[in-house]
Amino acid sequence: MADSPSLAATAAAIRQGRVSPVEVTRGCLDRIARLDDRLRAFITVDPDRALAAARRLEDEAGRGQWRGALHGVPLAFKDLCVIRGLPTSCGTRTRDYFTAERECTAASRLLAAGAVCLGKLNMTELAMGALGDNPHHGHARNPWAVEHCTGGSSSGSGVAVAAGFALGAIGTDTGGSIRLPAAACGITGLKPTYGRVSRAGAMALSWSNDHLGPMARTALDCALMLQAMAGPDPLDATASVRPPDDYAAAFDAPVRGLRVGVPRNFFFQGLDLEMEAAVRQAVAVLATLGARVEEIRLPDPQVLNDITSLVSRSESTALHGGLLRERPHELGPFTRARLELGLSVPAHDYLQALRLRARLARTFTREVWSEADVLAVPVIPEPAPPLRAAIEGPLEEIVERQGRFSRLTRPFNGLGLPALSLPCGFSSAGLPLALQLVGRPFDEATVLRLGHAYQRATDWHAREPGLA
Amino acid sequence: MSESKLQQAEVAALLGVIERLAGELSLAEEPARFTTALEDGAPAPGGGGAPGAPGSSR
Repeated sequence: MADSPSLAATAAAIRQGRVSPVEVTRGCLDRIARLDDRLRAFITVDPDRALAAARRLEDEAGRGQWRGALHGVPLAFKDLCVIRGLPTSCGTRTRDYFTAERECTAASRLLAAGAVCLGKLNMTELAMGALGDNPHHGHARNPWAVEHCTGGSSSGSGVAVAAGFALGAIGTDTGGSIRLPAAACGITGLKPTYGRVSRAGAMALSWSNDHLGPMARTALDCALMLQAMAGPDPLDATASVRPPDDYAAAFDAPVRGLRVGVPRNFFFQGLDLEMEAAVRQAVAVLATLGARVEEIRLPDPQVLNDITSLVSRSESTALHGGLLRERPHELGPFTRARLELGLSVPAHDYLQALRLRARLARTFTREVWSEADVLAVPVIPEPAPPLRAAIEGPLEEIVERQGRFSRLTRPFNGLGLPALSLPCGFSSAGLPLALQLVGRPFDEATVLRLGHAYQRATDWHAREPGLA
Repeated sequence: MSESKLQQAEVAALLGVIERLAGELSLAEEPARFTTALEDGAPAPGGGGAPGAPGSSR
């Protein structure tokens, strides 16, 4: 069970004066200093500024001044978010690979709500890769089993929350990069709807498929973070003008009567047996809570995977082709191969893929959301594999492994739908297993509400890795 | 298979999928319809479309 409190519990304890921002921040920094040499969650730790911010917030709290729901809560940000005064390597060898005139909107909104920035988190090179390895900053290590993958690309975000280094983190997700490390590290992570959270001030990998979102211990924690992060932003033309819902308030509504669709096709094929059993057991728990569980057939998710991959390859090469042309020796072999692939996609086919994506999004809405309110599927096909074996061998095998690990998350990037990963058990080897809940566009409230109800009925999210 | 042949095979497979499906597209279908598809598929602002959500009619 959890020794360290969740983000929501910590925020409440600070508000009630039971713990101070400085105490909480110092606790995180001490833990990072003690354990992160082994786990490699951070690229940059910023202890002096974090403690200075915590002291300011503590003084304000003493005067009864509260900045917002996250007052005094220590968070950390993936190293592709621009934070004033800190480098942004994006997992590359270059210290300041990405720069922007303004700070990352999502991060600055969290800080405006009172959060403390602990530093910048490890990630796969250029946010490519599903496994969590990094040739420049060290491979992030899974707190549940250090020889196993963390999932990527938001590897440090997954590790930092699971290891208790930070109470929440920003991740980004182009093909599964929030949900894969959340699943592999046994925490909760939300990829919101495309456009729900501004992408401004964060390095793009693929404009059409990139999403920023919260990673934390629980669905409630994610709701509190999303509340601060979400909303229109004039700095991002793709940010929706829709006002955000009140996510935590939606938790008061019952889940009885919600229609939970379990796909007959694709998602349960070729699945590890323990993973399948845990996800189906989680669905059974949802049924005991009053959800109406029904099997449904989805429009072919593999087509979505193919279209999303082609768009991502094209856009990432357009964005990062300069690095490929000018300093290819600085890139790891997997990243280099992915960028080279984008050079082979004709503009005509890239545009056809975008047109097809729009059609498939409409078809999905028409065929699926008339039958279900939420989909329940696995996140990863198997528990986190051993890292060394996963990243070694011929390139074609590495590409195949990476594609396989993200095949259950990528369709929802192409569709832009909100998708929540949450822990639903452990394998016999002690590795986390995970459930993915997917909702209608902009219906994060229902996805989070169902996730919260599941976490009130179970305790998988409260378990912590035994780190000395 | 060499690295470049592998890449060619992967791209060819992806392009094959696009070519197969793109023939069904009408002239009115353009990339920007993706964001309108999201907005059109969303529940009413301020209330989830699912039962129990504020503003839900079901």
